[in-house]
Amino acid sequence: MSELLTAAGLTRVYGRGAAATRALDGVSLSLEQGEFVGVMGPSGSGKTTLLNCIATIDRPTSGSIVLDGRELTGLRGRELARFRRERLGFIFQDCNLLDTLTAFENIALSLSIVGAPAREIPGRVREMAELLGIADCLDKYPWQMSGGQQQRCAAARAMVTRPALVLADEPTGALDSKSARLLLDRLEDLNRTMGATILMVTHDAFTASCCRRVVFLRDGKLFLELRRGELDRRAFFQRLIRVVSDMGGEMADVF
Amino acid sequence: MFSKLAIRNVRRSFRDYGVYLLTLTFGVCLFYTFNSLDGQAVMVYLAQNGNPAVETILVLIDIFSVFVAAVLACLILYADRFLLRRRKRELGTYLLLGLSHGQVARVLFLETGAVGLLSLGAGLALGTLASLGLSALTLSMFQMDLSQMLALTFSPRAAGKTAVYFGLIFLLVMLFSGLQVSRSKLIDLLRGDRKNEELKPRPLGVSVLQFAAGAVCLGAAYAILLTFGMAISVAVPVLCVPMLGLGTLGTLLIFRSLPGFVMRFVQRRPGVYFKGLNLFTLRQWLSRVHTTYLAQTVVCILLLLAIGITASSVGMNSAIESAAGGQAPYDLTVYSGAPEEELVDLNQILRNRMVDPAQVFAWEYEAVIYYNDPEVTREEGWAALPLSVYNALLSHLGQPAYEGPLPYCPENWGADPAFGYLGSFLVIPDEMAGQLEPCWQIWFVDYAGDKERTEQIVLAAVDSPEAGFPEGYGYTSRLETWQDLMGSKILALFLGLYLGFTFLLAAAAVLALQQLSQGADNAGRYAVLRRLGAEEKLTVRSAGQQVALAFFLPLGLALIHSAVGMKAANDLIATAGHVDSVQSSVVTAVLLVLVYGGYFLATALACRRMARGR
Repeated sequence: MSELLTAAGLTRVYGRGAAATRALDGVSLSLEQGEFVGVMGPSGSGKTTLLNCIATIDRPTSGSIVLDGRELTGLRGRELARFRRERLGFIFQDCNLLDTLTAFENIALSLSIVGAPAREIPGRVREMAELLGIADCLDKYPWQMSGGQQQRCAAARAMVTRPALVLADEPTGALDSKSARLLLDRLEDLNRTMGATILMVTHDAFTASCCRRVVFLRDGKLFLELRRGELDRRAFFQRLIRVVSDMGGEMADVF
Repeated sequence: MFSKLAIRNVRRSFRDYGVYLLTLTFGVCLFYTFNSLDGQAVMVYLAQNGNPAVETILVLIDIFSVFVAAVLACLILYADRFLLRRRKRELGTYLLLGLSHGQVARVLFLETGAVGLLSLGAGLALGTLASLGLSALTLSMFQMDLSQMLALTFSPRAAGKTAVYFGLIFLLVMLFSGLQVSRSKLIDLLRGDRKNEELKPRPLGVSVLQFAAGAVCLGAAYAILLTFGMAISVAVPVLCVPMLGLGTLGTLLIFRSLPGFVMRFVQRRPGVYFKGLNLFTLRQWLSRVHTTYLAQTVVCILLLLAIGITASSVGMNSAIESAAGGQAPYDLTVYSGAPEEELVDLNQILRNRMVDPAQVFAWEYEAVIYYNDPEVTREEGWAALPLSVYNALLSHLGQPAYEGPLPYCPENWGADPAFGYLGSFLVIPDEMAGQLEPCWQIWFVDYAGDKERTEQIVLAAVDSPEAGFPEGYGYTSRLETWQDLMGSKILALFLGLYLGFTFLLAAAAVLALQQLSQGADNAGRYAVLRRLGAEEKLTVRSAGQQVALAFFLPLGLALIHSAVGMKAANDLIATAGHVDSVQSSVVTAVLLVLVYGGYFLATALACRRMARGR
């Protein structure tokens, strides 16, 4: 499989002089086409900063990020917006659906923004909604849907444009366990059947256990990498839990 | 310490205060300009000539000012409430830091004071300029050269009155905000941002029905107005009440249903619906309708009043003006009963009284008018005018000579430019004059040189018993006719502009405040759009479109209403004289563009800035 994303020597420093904080300290990470990678770490470990840098929302102090052969750190203004809407999909913890739009319109809007042909849009929205199991609530407003439905709607919005890379920031953070499992199952399906490349940040071992590979961050540095290999999800979950407890008190707040 | 905090707050939240300051400044400016009318060149001129209208105008302006102040007070209170809501968190933080309710109220008190002083100063400065502009406008309307009276003047009396009225308003605002703060609970203040707007799904089909019903209501109201005319529709309660009721209901229904109606329409056109952020913009509009349709209706009616009052006062003005022209076509007309033996020589009378006719008259025409004798002329009528006299008068006014059949009895003699102002008449062939009895001797005169000074000289010579005119002496002076008409003209113009401006200001400010508050609420939504990769150009355009919809829909409907209303009103004014609807439309449009456009621009720029998220 070909390499999709290469981040090399990413460093992000907030503040200056004595007050400077190194949120990222020389992180290197690469993703292959069709991978499903999790990033774990305690709060303050720099995982959200890493995601934001790759998402082009934040800019690293030094280091390079290459996606699909393009260097992202040099993109500016319109080019950046264009790259973001055509190549990336986002799923956030608070699903960030627009409350004035129906589910259908929320998903359709991201296609409108990309400038997809109007005729194709309803079909593509329905197709993606089927895949995520929200076809029956397309005409509802966000506040009429459950949290799980909202989050799957957000996932549909992120993936309907067929982005090269889907970035998920704690997507199950605000969900109950049943809705979380439903969402993760769907993401796994999409990863397997459509070959979508997903990078997910989480501090929850259960959520991370559906990934094919999990990297651990601590104090802004890459600390450990685990591959799921042939393990089933339950066994992978056990391994992740062991790592987390080995990491000790720092992650105790997670459980 | 508190005053420092207050002043810093005002400076920091200048952006929020922008529209507030603009409204206050315009309000002060308006109030000052119309209360300083006694210093206006035209008013000074009228007062010098002892015109009774001056007193009437000043009294009426005083009365209207109370009403205007009440409208402005409501507006300022509304704006203040809006500002306080925006600043709930900040005020909550003060309380959290341990300031007492009284101390927070004191900070607000000082802030209001600072803003008040600032706007009072700016408003008075602007008002001084505005009254100069008003002077220039009125002078240009009189077609009289009073430019030497055009000067920048400052009226301490009007400034004092403005300061007192606005001082009272600010005091009211201070009390009001103090009350708001002392009654509020800390938890509500800190959670002020989390207030959720109630969204209810409403089937779009209902909107279509409501829209149709609204259109029918408006159609019926228009039909009543146009069928029965302005005078009857407004005066007869059986017509007036249903007309106003249907018009208001129709407007309300249209504003309530329009977004849903448009949405329904656009949803069937994927090419439009799915283009750029159209979908988002439409939904935003639709989601706001239930909080804004009432305000939009009120704004539409205020705009209608503003347009209607301004346009008809300007229209009335030109109608009166043309009436003045018709009532006195020559600078001076002197008449006297024709003596039986020898005719009077006007020039000789002037020379006897040491006035040289050649020096004062640029043009002079002497004519004898005869009693009509139906046995001779075979026509009804009071006076008979020889054809040569009639044509001479016509040619002086630049009109073509009359060449039709004689005797000629004009059907609408009152509208005749040359002679109609003197009474009913008929034109006879010159040779018929010998068979008729002379009745009047008339001199038509245009002055040479400065008209006012010349008129004084001529009237001093002619208008006295020593001049020795026979019985039936009298005169009509164009200047005097004008001055009489000027009074009513000024009255209509000033009062119309005063009220029109007040309503326009109120309408624009209400809309601006509402849009700014919604723009701030939308900040989160724009952030989501940016994350989805929407270009800044698109989000900013969408924000501008939302403001434009809010401003131009009420204006559009108000323009349609006023087009219908003006048609009816012009028919009414036309009975008093000719109406120059082009001129009144242009003046109205310029005023509208200045005030309404200013508010629209300020609001659109602020909302676009919010959409940029900086």
